Amino acid sequence: MSALARVPGLADVSYQRARPLLGTLVEIAATGSDAAQVQRAIELAFDAVETVHTLMSYHSADSDVSRINRDAFNAPVVVDAHTWRVLAAAQAFAEASDGLFDVTVAPTLTRLGFLPRHVDFPRISGQGDWRHVMLLPDHQVRLARRLRIDLSGIAKGYAVDLAIQTLRDAGMTSARVNAGGDLRLYGDSAQTVHVRHPLGATTIVPLLQFSEGAAATSAGYYASRRYQGRQIMPVIHPGTKIACDVTRSVTVLAQDCMCADALTKVVHADPEQAAVILARFNARAFIVENDPLTGGCRVLDTAATGQHHWHARWGVGTQHV
Amino acid sequence: MNDLNRWLLIPAVILPAAASAPAFAVQYLTVEQAQKVLFPAADQFEAKPIVLSAAQRRAIESASGVRVRSPEVNAWRARQGGRASGWFVLDEVYGKHEFITYAVAIGLDGAVKGVEILDYRETHGGEVQNPKWRAQFTGKKAGDTLKLDEDIKNISGATLSCKHLTDGVKRILATYEAALK
Repeated sequence: MSALARVPGLADVSYQRARPLLGTLVEIAATGSDAAQVQRAIELAFDAVETVHTLMSYHSADSDVSRINRDAFNAPVVVDAHTWRVLAAAQAFAEASDGLFDVTVAPTLTRLGFLPRHVDFPRISGQGDWRHVMLLPDHQVRLARRLRIDLSGIAKGYAVDLAIQTLRDAGMTSARVNAGGDLRLYGDSAQTVHVRHPLGATTIVPLLQFSEGAAATSAGYYASRRYQGRQIMPVIHPGTKIACDVTRSVTVLAQDCMCADALTKVVHADPEQAAVILARFNARAFIVENDPLTGGCRVLDTAATGQHHWHARWGVGTQHV
Repeated sequence: MNDLNRWLLIPAVILPAAASAPAFAVQYLTVEQAQKVLFPAADQFEAKPIVLSAAQRRAIESASGVRVRSPEVNAWRARQGGRASGWFVLDEVYGKHEFITYAVAIGLDGAVKGVEILDYRETHGGEVQNPKWRAQFTGKKAGDTLKLDEDIKNISGATLSCKHLTDGVKRILATYEAALK
C-alpha cells in the first residue's frame, strides 16, 4: 500500500470515467481517500491502456505487432517488454490448448474483413502456426514462416490487468476496469456483472457477482459480419480456419483478465475440450445461448471448483430484479 | 470423456427474458469535471458557442466524411493565466439504441489532447431516434423522467457505438479546422 492509502475514518471518494480506446469504450472506476488522487490514478490507468493500444494495435503501422508482421521473417525484431509478456502468454495458451488459441489467424481475419489490409506487409505463405513465432532472448521476435500475427484476442485483457495494477499501485481501495467486455475488479463489495443477450444485444441480463478477479465476454453482437450468407464473428477456429457462429456468447472468469480474454477464444473454438483447459487455468466459463422456448437465455456453466470469490448469481437463489 | 465435458449438455439455468433491463444510463462526468480533467492547468473556460454556416457544414462533412446533424457547436476556450491553451468541445452522438455525450479537448497545435465520455445511455426501445427523448437529458441528470436501471454498471460485452464516437471525434476535428481555428 502506498503512503496515500486509506486513512480510516475519512470518507472515500469514487469516480468513474470512460474513454474510447482499444476499439471500444474503456471504463475505469476507482475509490480512494482523496478526490485529486483518485482522478490522477484514473489518468495513469488510462495511460497504461493507451500504452498497450499503441504497442499492440494491428491497425497502426508503427506498433510492435506491425513491425513483427513486416520484418520478423527476415530478421529478429526487438519489441517492448509489455509486448514480449503478451506474446509469451499467448504461446503458453496456445500450447495448453493445443493450438485452439493461436495468434497467427490474422490473415483469415483480414480475408473475412475483420482486420485491415496493410499494403507494405510481405505476402504470407499460408503455412505455419503459433509454433513458428519464435521468442528469442532480449525481447527479440522472429517468424520462422511467412506469417502474420494479431494480438487483439489477448492484448485487451492485458491492458485491463495493467490498468488494475496501476490503480492498486496508486493506493485505490477498490477499482474496476471494463474494456468493452474485458472486465476486472477488486475491492470489498461484490458487484453484479451483466451480459448482453446473444440475439438481442440491448437486452441485458445479470449473470454473476464477484468482488475480485476478471470476467471476459466474447460475442458477436457488434463485431459480427455477414460472409457468404452466414453471420460470423471475428473468432477463428485455428484448425479449420472457419469463423465461429454468433449465436452464443462466452464469458470466462479467471484471476486475471488476459487469461479470461484468451480463454474465451478457446471456448468458442471448441466448447467440449475447453472445460479441461479452463480447469488447468483455474478458470470457469458461462456460455449464454438464446432459449427459443422462453425468449430468455440458457446458461451453461463449467462450474470449476476453487473459485472463492465467485457466486453464480442465478445458481444460489439471490435473484432480485 | 472427462467428467467436466458433460456440462455442455445441460443448461445450468435459464434466465427469463423478463429479468432483462429495459434501459440503463451512466453519468461519468459533469461538464465542469470534464473541463478540469481535460485541461487540468486551465483556470478559465470561456463559452464560445458557434452556429455553423451552410458552407462550414459542407466543408466539415467533406473533410471528415461524417454528417453534421446540428449546426450548433458547444465550444469553450480554455485559458491559463489569461493565455489560450486550447478548445473544449462538447458533443453528442447517437445510434439505434444509444446516446453518448462526450467532450474533445483540442490543443493549440490543433491535435486532439483527449476525449472523455460524460454520459452513456442505452435503451432497447427506439426512443433514441426521437429528439424529444434526447432533449429530456439536456442539463439534467440521467433518470429524471425515464425508468432507467442505474444499478447496472458492469456489462461484460462491448458498448454499442465506438464507431459513432470515432466518427464524432473526426467531425469535431474538422469543425475546429473550419470554424474554431
